[in-house]
Amino acid sequence: MTDDSTFGPVSARRRALLKAAGLGGAFVAVGGSTLLSAPANALPTSARIVIIGAGAAGIAAANRLDSALDGARITIIDRRQRHLYQPGLTLVATGIWRPGKVVDSNERYLPRSVNWIQDHVAEIDPDANRVVTTGGQNIDYDYLLVTTGLTVDYAAIEGMSRDLIGREGIGCVYDNPEHAERTWRMIDHYVTAGGVGLFTRGPGGIKCAGAPLKVTMLTEDLARRRGTRASLEMIYNSPSGGLFSQPDTNEFLKGEFPSRDIGINWHHRLKGIEPEARRATFATPQGDVRLDYDFIHVVPPMRAPDALGNSPLAWQDGPFAADGNWMEVDQYSMRHRRYGNVFGAGDCVGTPIGKTAASVKAQVPVAVDNLISVLAEREAVQRFNGYTSCPLITGRGRGILVEFDYALNMVPSFPFISPYREHWVPWVMKDRMLQPAYNAMLRGRI
Amino acid sequence: MAFSIAGILAVLLEVIRPWLPLIIIVLAIDVAITAWLLASRGRSWSNGRRPALLGGAIIGVLAFFLAPLITSARFSDLSGLLDWMSILGGSIAAALVAAVLLWPLTTALFGKTVHS
Repeated sequence: MTDDSTFGPVSARRRALLKAAGLGGAFVAVGGSTLLSAPANALPTSARIVIIGAGAAGIAAANRLDSALDGARITIIDRRQRHLYQPGLTLVATGIWRPGKVVDSNERYLPRSVNWIQDHVAEIDPDANRVVTTGGQNIDYDYLLVTTGLTVDYAAIEGMSRDLIGREGIGCVYDNPEHAERTWRMIDHYVTAGGVGLFTRGPGGIKCAGAPLKVTMLTEDLARRRGTRASLEMIYNSPSGGLFSQPDTNEFLKGEFPSRDIGINWHHRLKGIEPEARRATFATPQGDVRLDYDFIHVVPPMRAPDALGNSPLAWQDGPFAADGNWMEVDQYSMRHRRYGNVFGAGDCVGTPIGKTAASVKAQVPVAVDNLISVLAEREAVQRFNGYTSCPLITGRGRGILVEFDYALNMVPSFPFISPYREHWVPWVMKDRMLQPAYNAMLRGRI
Repeated sequence: MAFSIAGILAVLLEVIRPWLPLIIIVLAIDVAITAWLLASRGRSWSNGRRPALLGGAIIGVLAFFLAPLITSARFSDLSGLLDWMSILGGSIAAALVAAVLLWPLTTALFGKTVHS
């Protein structure tokens, strides 16, 4: 891990001031939820902290920093007014939730004392400790927290664009509730009319990697309930030789799909689409394969937003650079490996697993506590173990609560809920409990 | 991932947040009736207990049978001890809460003593 001597060019004088301010307070209480519930113990500091992105990680971090620090000048940069509960998009796209259920506002969750700049970031210059917005505003920082989220790369699929979602049998669960609702209209029609359904998954790191599987199984379940299953030929196209990164869940799915008459094409990466001909091209080890469809669930590759991916903060080489120009962080401390005053959390970071809201819940306290420790010139000791979670919905009314870590070991939060069996309880959690838990996370309370 | 008691309470607060105004109104009515009962004479709490328990039992049975429907599921989706204990436990909890909330009302309605 990078030590303090490798910080970017925060001036020595300024760092001395920050240190004096930090040491002058009751920093012994910094870190952990105790502090969050006791603002009286907040660490005095005049540090300028900039957060890029007001998604789940950015807002949760803003609330935690606001509670933990006294006098810090916290700025969050994001043009979006709307806050989307993205884990709910799968349920919108399969007709279970109304789109409005996943729409909230950033304003509702951001602390009043945090300066919200409603613009996008165009450039990050970590050597100058500066961020430039698309509106041309220069914002200097002492500490930077990058929580930009990611970009769904529709252009990586020849012939595909966002505008096609909801037309010509094309659906996509990612992106926004409007597109999720259009996807539902496509699925609804497909399940009624029948035909060939192709279900895809983008290669490499994608957010909520269980979503393509859930859409497939919920579509199959819907057809069974409507009595039209026999008229559907469903094929899941995996870009690799597996269905899920966690081995036990992978084995379960490899048995579950065939038992529900869902075909699997291994090593089929969606490469191109001809919407009017309703034909998709897949790259396979044997060369390109073209398949006709009546419905296709398109899951494009995903990558870091350009402002981050083109900046020095991105991995410069290796698998995380090749996959999506993800942000370079130490996978345990969430601290940048080369810029010691920069931290990252959420979908934008290049870690082996963890592009889920559940990972955000585990990453943000680590990133925030370590940032505060560095600010107070103490050792950053918090560690993220790779925790991620997927309520793997296998049908309306049942699912498996899968939780695992970097070692791909199951780490169930509730020992009485088996991660190997379908139950109603995980479905209730997904349908009723996880959104409240997400909101509590945004407020920095869990 | 471990959840602290404070964390669980924070999640529960978010669960009930959309219904907070309704919950506050119901509690306020309950408190008002209780205050009126304590200030007035001629009402026996024990006379109101049986109808409150009956109301709670009805709510509990309804909760048991409607819980899958409310969650877009079916009874056939329930599997194993975990699911059955959860639905049973939830129904008993709903019955107890309903009985406690109904008790002041049933005392006001059915709690008149002979001498009053």
